[in-house]
Amino acid sequence: MAQDYTEWLAINVLNEQQLVSYRSLSRALKVHSNLAKQMLYDFHRKQNAKKPGTLHATYLITGIKRTERPATNGTHSQRDGEHTVMQSSPLLPSSSALKPDEHDDEEPNAVQTVMLVKQESLELAKSKFESITGIHIYSLQAKGLGDIQSLTECNRKIAVDYDLEDPLEAWKQYGTIQNPNVKRRTQRRQLPPPPAPVAKAAVAKAKPPIPTAKPTTLKKEASKDSQEAKPTSNASAKATTEPAKKPPTNKRQSSDIFKSFAKGKPKAKTEQESQGSAGSTPKAAPDDEPIAGFSDEEDADEGDADIIEEAPQAVDGKSKKEREAELQAMMEQEDEVMEDAAGAELEHAEADVDEGAIDKPDLQAEEPKETVQFENGRRRGRRRVMKKKTVKDEDGYLVTKEEATWESFSEDEPAPKRIKVPPTTSMSKSTTTAAGKKGAKPGGSNIMSFFSKK
Amino acid sequence: MNGDSHADLLQPPSNIEPTVLERTASHYTPLPTYQLPKGEHRHYQQQYADMYFARLAQLKPAVEQIASEAWADFEIGGETASRKDRVLDVRQGELCWVAGTVYMEMPLKPNVLEDIGKEHWIAAPPPRVKYDTGVGLGGDSERGAHAGGGKGLAGAQIMLEDESGRLRLTGGYLSGGLLVTGAIVAVMGTENSDGDFEVLDLRVPDLPRQPPRWETEDGDAALQGKSVTKKRPSSGKVAIISGLGVSGVEGDTLLLDLLLEYLLGESTDPASQQQAASISRLIIAGNSLSHSSPIPSREELAAATKKGGRKTYGYDSASYNAAPTDHLDQWLATLLPSIPITLLPGEQDPTSTSLPQQPIHAAMFPHSRAYMNPPTAPEGPGWFDSTTNPAEFSADGWRFLGTGGQPVDDVYKYLPDCEERLEMMEAMLRWRLTAPTAPDTLWCYPFQDGDQFVMKECPHVFLVGNQPKFETTVVEGPLGQQVRVLAVPRFKETGELILLDCETLVPEIVRFEVLDEG
Repeated sequence: MAQDYTEWLAINVLNEQQLVSYRSLSRALKVHSNLAKQMLYDFHRKQNAKKPGTLHATYLITGIKRTERPATNGTHSQRDGEHTVMQSSPLLPSSSALKPDEHDDEEPNAVQTVMLVKQESLELAKSKFESITGIHIYSLQAKGLGDIQSLTECNRKIAVDYDLEDPLEAWKQYGTIQNPNVKRRTQRRQLPPPPAPVAKAAVAKAKPPIPTAKPTTLKKEASKDSQEAKPTSNASAKATTEPAKKPPTNKRQSSDIFKSFAKGKPKAKTEQESQGSAGSTPKAAPDDEPIAGFSDEEDADEGDADIIEEAPQAVDGKSKKEREAELQAMMEQEDEVMEDAAGAELEHAEADVDEGAIDKPDLQAEEPKETVQFENGRRRGRRRVMKKKTVKDEDGYLVTKEEATWESFSEDEPAPKRIKVPPTTSMSKSTTTAAGKKGAKPGGSNIMSFFSKK
Repeated sequence: MNGDSHADLLQPPSNIEPTVLERTASHYTPLPTYQLPKGEHRHYQQQYADMYFARLAQLKPAVEQIASEAWADFEIGGETASRKDRVLDVRQGELCWVAGTVYMEMPLKPNVLEDIGKEHWIAAPPPRVKYDTGVGLGGDSERGAHAGGGKGLAGAQIMLEDESGRLRLTGGYLSGGLLVTGAIVAVMGTENSDGDFEVLDLRVPDLPRQPPRWETEDGDAALQGKSVTKKRPSSGKVAIISGLGVSGVEGDTLLLDLLLEYLLGESTDPASQQQAASISRLIIAGNSLSHSSPIPSREELAAATKKGGRKTYGYDSASYNAAPTDHLDQWLATLLPSIPITLLPGEQDPTSTSLPQQPIHAAMFPHSRAYMNPPTAPEGPGWFDSTTNPAEFSADGWRFLGTGGQPVDDVYKYLPDCEERLEMMEAMLRWRLTAPTAPDTLWCYPFQDGDQFVMKECPHVFLVGNQPKFETTVVEGPLGQQVRVLAVPRFKETGELILLDCETLVPEIVRFEVLDEG
């Protein structure tokens, strides 16, 4: 132990010419701060004995400075040049404390000073103090300290280097005053998302009535989406959508666009997004029956997902119920994170973008199962396709719902199918976008379905 | 080198296990007095006049009671003072008393018509230090509105107003004291031949009822059916600071670092660390950031137009610099694991500019956010409490009323020669108004149902941040109330931290300095 700090200090202060404060030393060697101060002193003394003048130190002096007049307790009896406006007695008859003669009775407030000095000024500083409670070395550096403000560098480095330490656990060893009552929320640390996607999301939101051929967002959204299953799909159906569902609807639709744009989003997004969905989840009570429909639909949309999250094993023949159950489980898991941000700064835009991020991983898992068997100038295989189904709602409204169904296809008609079907992984991003957009249309507005099968 | 006791840390490391200190617990209950309703429930359609009427209605009973007690037996020349209900009921030559709101007409007060005219000027107007020129008739010894019988044509005029009308006040008596627009007073005197009311005596509502210590907590416990604990553990100290002024510019943050290390108990010697462990809470009273207010002030706007730059009304998002908030957030997040913090916004903080300023939003603090209450499920006070300005809360049983300094600074502008901030604070307590000059010269929310700035209960500690220097006194009330008044200095300039002992309510100062000679 004794050798460690000497070595460490020799390396860092002398060789690397760094500025080392007692805090940096305590964190590097995981020792109590007071011990670190003593180590600094010892090293300083030994080094200076060997080669005087090689090490410079700054000291922290605590104590009571030589008498300053306790001028700061409102003694305005000393203000004799002042004008009679000072007298408050006429207007404030019960004022007792501010009568000038009473001030001298008040004892001066105790002033303790904590002063940081360079070693050259140490004696000068000590002379300013009437009584000293303590002195210790604050920092060591190899050359003289030019600007004393550069000591802030030490704390900044600590903040950066030891960012991952949990203060509540690690700081005890450094001698920080512990507080048994501290309350901290458990949330995964995440920083606010960068502003760029928000701008894009805003653009997307400008085109709300894009029918959702690619409804799904994330599995977490599934419950929310379920509510929109009925009203969302068409522009016509939209008219019947209740206003409460509108924002989630928009979210979902914007997310469809983003699924195509979004690519390789970091996990942080996922978190944000889960919070976003959490916010909307309280709005819409989870409804089980259309979940099934949606979990299937998710798969149909695919961007060029680069990341594969731990999406549940989606096998072709996997039953909808199983998938649904998994979704629920995942939603449960995310609950605590959701609570934090729910209702707070719930920005639709962010949620939109994030939805895109999550979709891709999920879809990625599904995609391989459904794509082509082989490519040989002729693609064939089973594939998911959006088919429309018009049902009559309980209120008597005609609601057109999009449902994903399997169908087999072959490459005889590649182009038209491309248009109709939501993009697959093999396509490039731009194509995906185009196809995505076009694919989005058919389910929605009836006009576009005109172009679907040529 | 030194004596023994303080050289403990100037020696080679010993093998003694250093003790781990524990901080004294803080009992804290924030009160929602100044919280405004959120979202669509916050209306701005109402008129500000309603606020004055509400204020008068709330304080008139109190001041009339004091006045009637004081003047019941008052006689001049065989005539007793009679009470008038309305300001306009006073009759010439009749000795009477009446209560109303003070209104001061001052030539240099901000005037929107003048502002528009000034936009076409070349030079920006200098910032107003005082609203009164301090020049009046009646000689050099008396200046300003209070001078020359209030007739100061060049100076200001004082009037008394209520729902019926206004009455101009005169009299040498007025020069003796503090009056600002918005204070509710009762004056006794008579109307003279000019139609002005000559004041012989004046009364204010004085301090309201002061709750005993621990009343808030005991009351809450009683409401919840829990037994009221008679024995409370002894409290520690509360650290109060103001005007951190984090600006993102490196070169002035060393004092903040020293403060941080002191509060964490890492710096200084074991004896001082023990002392630091008795600090149970940190209260930051405003202006933690400098220049982060979203709306530029009149002077800034005038300067911007003068430069020929784009005049952006409101917030210019291109010029946002995240460094100050980031730095502040890191600083707070380093302190929070060890000490709970109450943060009041100030004039330069990124929140609403009109009083009562709403809490700085959690979004500004990505790291410290973990210590705040989740927005949807507030269970009790948060560890990190970002609160309103002004703020009322109960810490260790004592009722604290704190502001970021804007009300006092505004009252300061009304008083031509008075530099005594403690006096102004005392006056505010006696007027029972946290922000007397709102809404006249201090931006505020148009309260509809009642003036929230009226103090319903007397605090035990009244602290005002961002003052030029540290001052303190104890104000006493007619019913034995005692209020510790604290003027908290700006940390950025003075490096002073105030420690208020919660058992005795006596403050002491810890000053941080960096000796920078040679």
